[in-house]
Amino acid sequence: MRTNNATAADLLHGSVIYGKLQELVAWGRKNSLWPFGFGLSCCFIEYAAALTSRHDIARFGQEVLRGTPREADVMIVAGTPFIKCATLIRRLYDQLLEPKWVISMGSCSNSGGMYDIYSVVQGVDKIIPVDVYVPGCPPRPEALMQGLLMLRDAVGNEKRPLSWVAGSQETIRAPKISMRDLKRDERRKATVLRSPDEV
Amino acid sequence: MEQAPSRMPTIREALFVRFGASAFTVQETRDHITTLWVAPDVLRDVLRFAKNVVQQPFSMLYDLTAIDERANTRRNSLPPSDFTVVYHLLSFDRNEDLRLKVALAGERPSVGTITGLWPSADWYEREAWDLFGIDFAGHPNLRRILLPTTWQGHPLRKDYAARATEREPFSLPDDKWMAEEEALRFKPEEWGLKTGSGEEDYLFLNLGPQHLGTHGLLRVILQLDGEEVVNAVPDIGFHHRGAEKMAERQSWHTYIPYTDRIDYLGGAMNNLAYVLAVEKLAGIDVPDRAKVARVMIAELFRIESHLIFFGTMAQDMGSLSPLFYTFNDRERIFGIIEAICGGRMHPSWYRLGGIAHDLPRGWDGLVRDFLHYLPPRLKDYDQIVMRNAVFKKRTQGIGQYSTAEAIEWGVTGPGLRATGLAWDFRKKRPYSGYEMFEFDVPTATRGDCYDRAVVHLAEMRQSLRIIEQCVEHMPAGPYKSDHPLAVPPRKDRTLQDIETLITHFLSVSWGPVIPPGEAQASIEATKGNNGYYLISDGGALAYRCRIRTPSFAHMQMLPRLCRGAMVSDVLAILGSMDYVLADIDR
Repeated sequence: MRTNNATAADLLHGSVIYGKLQELVAWGRKNSLWPFGFGLSCCFIEYAAALTSRHDIARFGQEVLRGTPREADVMIVAGTPFIKCATLIRRLYDQLLEPKWVISMGSCSNSGGMYDIYSVVQGVDKIIPVDVYVPGCPPRPEALMQGLLMLRDAVGNEKRPLSWVAGSQETIRAPKISMRDLKRDERRKATVLRSPDEV
Repeated sequence: MEQAPSRMPTIREALFVRFGASAFTVQETRDHITTLWVAPDVLRDVLRFAKNVVQQPFSMLYDLTAIDERANTRRNSLPPSDFTVVYHLLSFDRNEDLRLKVALAGERPSVGTITGLWPSADWYEREAWDLFGIDFAGHPNLRRILLPTTWQGHPLRKDYAARATEREPFSLPDDKWMAEEEALRFKPEEWGLKTGSGEEDYLFLNLGPQHLGTHGLLRVILQLDGEEVVNAVPDIGFHHRGAEKMAERQSWHTYIPYTDRIDYLGGAMNNLAYVLAVEKLAGIDVPDRAKVARVMIAELFRIESHLIFFGTMAQDMGSLSPLFYTFNDRERIFGIIEAICGGRMHPSWYRLGGIAHDLPRGWDGLVRDFLHYLPPRLKDYDQIVMRNAVFKKRTQGIGQYSTAEAIEWGVTGPGLRATGLAWDFRKKRPYSGYEMFEFDVPTATRGDCYDRAVVHLAEMRQSLRIIEQCVEHMPAGPYKSDHPLAVPPRKDRTLQDIETLITHFLSVSWGPVIPPGEAQASIEATKGNNGYYLISDGGALAYRCRIRTPSFAHMQMLPRLCRGAMVSDVLAILGSMDYVLADIDR
């Protein structure tokens, strides 16, 4: 809060941030990820649940669901990638403008999951590159939100060329992390599990 | 029993009198549905007789499917057949089913189409062509329906490999991508559609497969004259997950989770139709506690599905808030489902012979809270949606059809009841103990989009009544049958004698071996009548699993409802239809 005895220098310190332009752009990107409203099957219902009031994805600035890939930054592949719609997934991904990211939501999209069957592509990464995999069948809305937060962190740490004439043209992506490995020790500490006989 | 001479002849007697007993072979089935094998040359006449001539006719083509019989060694005295086409008819007047089978021989089986008799046979025959390679001579447009037009082979044939991992990993190089996209291009002449009215060209508008108004991967091609829809062609199959083939490689028990994902808003209610069919085959009786617990969870899922229907339909009509309210209610239902079943959308909670585990302590408090919570909310929905002037304008008189038309197209569920026919399997053929409950079957009169919403809203209130009775009168006792084929078998006696231990071990490791035979069970699912038609050859896997889903029949009626409507009406019609893509394509 501004007090009467603050000097001009204090005020300046409180309202100016020093940093690299690249980091500023990355910060802007990570805080305004617009998802493409794209649903394939069951997972999309849980994705929709994440958008609505109980989970309220707007808390993370990601409620701006776009109806067209041309206005979106992140594509959440929510559901089963069928062979019949593989061309469609690829086409929509191509229509997203750079920079763009993909979250694979649910077992089907991650690996085919339960559906090792003739009509299903065994993982959407056979068609398009994936940045974050969210496990579950379908994942709970909370799991999707964690995936989105992970993507957000990764986007903030990404190094991308600022201009097509100056500097390196290489994109350096943040390393992919495994939550399973990260949380292993914490999980092992749990020795008493809640009984399924109680609500 | 001595019958009065004036009684009406059974359908079997009527058919024998008309066509002679030698035209038929009678098959006994576990579900006691009259099942008759018919020679291909009289098939059409028999079907016409059953539909139009006989007293109290079989007016609905409930299902049409096929069976690849070539690998079934337990057919016993049935007529020889390589491929069998099955016609399942339903009579509302008799409250009775009739199953007619026709045996076909050879690698390229062929039988005459019945699209002239029932318009709804169109898609069913296309499906049988797509998945079995059965030719229906005279069909107006026999082309693939579920798989891409570029597909090779017919997956439900026994010699077709089920798994994706049995073939080359999928890849999409540019040339294949372009060819597949080209194959998806809509060519009006292939569908017998004119490209213009003579004076002006029609506009062909591609609605979907990626469109929020289609509620999933559905493509509808609209033939437009200005803003008016001349015709609509639904293109389905983008969501075909091979669920029927899956049953042929999963044990009877491990197939249960796949049923959850058929009508993926119906959750565990899907299990019910499947386990009822297997229990019929195996002759398992379910204890009362399991029956009532099943009903309670099924009705909770009915409310959940109807809430989503209600919210999304209002959203399609341009009012965004109801969706946020109904999803909030849905979370409360999932709070109960999770506490009882341990999962949210797909808890797979029903088991052959009972349920997965007993109700947890304190379950009734959760359900009671919900019973108090929801009714005022439903009152709100009545205010903000049903009495909303814009909603009324956009739905009343739109997408209207009569009871007769609904029956002609195979429409069941709220879509049928909205036309005034109080047909509900829970009342007409009570299963899982529904005869013990007091509830009404809500109907409406006009059969338009608005009335379908009215019926959905009223059904939620009835479901609450049923759930209340479940809470008040939940029977005590076991939650699982003692039958040796119930899965997973009871553990407590396995350490008493070696025989029980062996049975337990086999049942857990291989799964139960279900006696040969066939049975069908239908339930009143969230969207209409859902049925599983199962054939066992006496193995640990199903020989054939046919899933009759309501959405498939409903979607086929779309062109009829859209003709003459405006583009914006199409969204109202789709929204009011209450379908789920996995329920259409399976």
